[in-house]
This record gives sequence, structure tokens and C-alpha cells, in this order.
Amino acid sequence: MSRSVGRFVILLAFTLGIGSNTSFADTPIVELRIRNHLFFPDTLEVPAHTKIKLMVINEDPTPEEFESYELNREKVILGHRKTIIFIGPLPPGEYPFFGEFYPKTAQGKIVVTAQQPSE
Amino acid sequence: MFLNSVVLILQEILEAALLISILLVLSRQLQLSARWFATGMILGGIGAFILSVNLATISEWLDYAGQEILIAGIMIAVLGLLTLIGLYSTSALWASRHSLPYLMSICVALALSREGAEIVIYLGGILNHQESVQPTFTGAGIGAGIGLSAGVLLYFGLLSLPARWIFCTCILLLALIGGTMASQATLLLTQVDWITYSPVLWDSSIWLPEDSIPGHLLYALIGYEATPSLFQAIAYGIGFLLVSISATLGYLNHFRSRRKNTGEK
Repeated sequence: MSRSVGRFVILLAFTLGIGSNTSFADTPIVELRIRNHLFFPDTLEVPAHTKIKLMVINEDPTPEEFESYELNREKVILGHRKTIIFIGPLPPGEYPFFGEFYPKTAQGKIVVTAQQPSE
Repeated sequence: MFLNSVVLILQEILEAALLISILLVLSRQLQLSARWFATGMILGGIGAFILSVNLATISEWLDYAGQEILIAGIMIAVLGLLTLIGLYSTSALWASRHSLPYLMSICVALALSREGAEIVIYLGGILNHQESVQPTFTGAGIGAGIGLSAGVLLYFGLLSLPARWIFCTCILLLALIGGTMASQATLLLTQVDWITYSPVLWDSSIWLPEDSIPGHLLYALIGYEATPSLFQAIAYGIGFLLVSISATLGYLNHFRSRRKNTGEK
């Protein structure tokens, strides 16, 4: 068993090592706001094959949970708080997300486009 | 709000209920006192409350990675406990068996703290919407009822198996939960970029979507994901092997010591 524990620790250290080497500076930041249980904007366009730092700002007094099956993401954001969720790199396509606490209204999607968005 | 509340609470309760049922069956098979269960529930309740109150602050630690790091830490701790439970429950030593109730109650307390905190945060938020309070809490009650029923069903289902299979099935299910813990921890650490991105291994969302009823059930029982990443799958394998190998080692140890004892006589 000690060998498999060792392997697990090595793998964990190795992956964490890679994680910390990636520079945060060149990761584009995309802002998403929650207001009255709605997402603003409800459609986010991001470039393909690029890691994105999604800054989610909850302007409501109530907590919300950002959730997406397609993106494999799930995170609670408390009232009047903000948070960061990393997504991608993703192939082109549409990735819906929703607020798990208020799913009827809190709906949105991330559209990943092949070319760089014009800025 | 009603239906959403049923689904949300069910999801949270189901995972904990299944883990608790398996541990209760194991503890019954080993003829341990089930007092650990009450201790675990009480500690878990307290843990869920403390975690929900402090989650806003914790979330902002480590450049907004605090929530994921803490929850992934809890999941890895649960995996560690399941590994020890696997090892000690098959081992013959009375001393190791004696520590099992403590391990089981900590395991339940950690699992409940994690799942319970989300329920407390969700229901706490609903209190701000007077008109939603009644349907949400009714839904929560029904969701909790279904989740607990599933747990009871698994408990009696396991006990109705042929006696020699019960123990192995429990260990197998615990190993699957161990795999789930490792896979979910990996996912959370990827979400905050502490573990680097790895490609999606497969996409079974068309045949078995995660948000379907069988999808939710399989997620709670074996950690099913429609689009798992490569690292998640590796972590799952490691978690599964940790629990199953430790249980096998405990069994071999048991067998060897028994043979030695009979040889001496």
C-alpha cells in the first residue's frame, strides 16, 4: 500500500507543480454578474483553446451556485461576494451554465468561437 | 422553487445517505456498536453549520481558491479514512477493529459537513424570499425523504445479499466512493487552476446525461461524470485502488496471522 500512497503523492505534487507554473498574467479575465437571479451578460463569447479566468460577481444579497454540466464546474458564490472560476481551454461550441439555486431565471451560456474575438 | 428544492436537497442527501448506509452495514457485519453513527451525525451537523457561516470568508482565501482547496481537502481526508477503514475492517487485530468506530464517525462527520453546508446556505438564502419559503422547505423535506429512503433501501438491500457477499460488496462500494472522492477533488483543484487542464476522456452526455435521474443516482453511487477529464479518471483509479488494495492487504494479514496461530497450537 505504501507504494501506491507514494505514487499518489508524487502524482499530486507533479500536477500541482505544473499548475503553479502556469502564469496567471496572460489568462484573459471575463466578467459575469448575477443580479436579480439573472446573469449579465447571459452570453459570453470566448476564444477557443484558451484558458479563461471567469470572475463571477454576485450583486444579489442571496447566495447562488454557478453550475455547468458541460463545463464540469460548480461553485457557491455567497451574497454580495465575488469569486474566480477557471474554465477551458475548450474546443469551439456552446456551453450552457445556470444558477443552481434559482435555475428558472439564472441561465446563460459560454460561446467558444474558433477565431479570436475582435477587440 | 418546489421542484428545484427537491432535486437540490436530494442530490446532497443521497451521497451522504449512501455512504452512511454502507458504513452501517459494515459496522453491523463486524458486530460493532453503532454509537459512532450518532456521534458522526452530531459532529457533521455542527461542521455543516460552521462551514456555511464561514464559507464567504474561506472562499476569498488563496486568491478565491479557498472553497475548492478546503472541500478537496475534506474529500482527500475521506479517501484516507476509507482506506484505513478498508484496511482495519479486514484485519484481525482487535486494536485496529477498536479504532473503526472513530474512523467511521469522522468519515460521516466530514461528508455531512460538506453536503450539509450547501443545504444550509441554500435554505438560508431562501429565507430572504418570503413567498418561496413554504414551497422550498416542503420540497427540501421531500428531497431529504427520498434521499434517506434510498439510503435505507441500500442498507436492507446489502443485508439481503448472501452473507459471504455482504462484506466484499461493502468494500467494493467504499472503493468506488474513494475513487469518486479523488476524482471530485481533482476536478475542484482544476477549477482553481491548482491542477493543470487535461483533455476530456469521453462524452457520454447524449446516452446518460448527468442531470437525468439515473445520472444523479450513478453520480451519488459511483461518481459518474458524462465528460470526465484524463486526470480525473487517473485520480479515480488511484482512489479505488487505495481502498481496495488496503482491504486486500488487511485480509491477507488476517489470513496469515490466523494460519500462524493455528500452526503454533
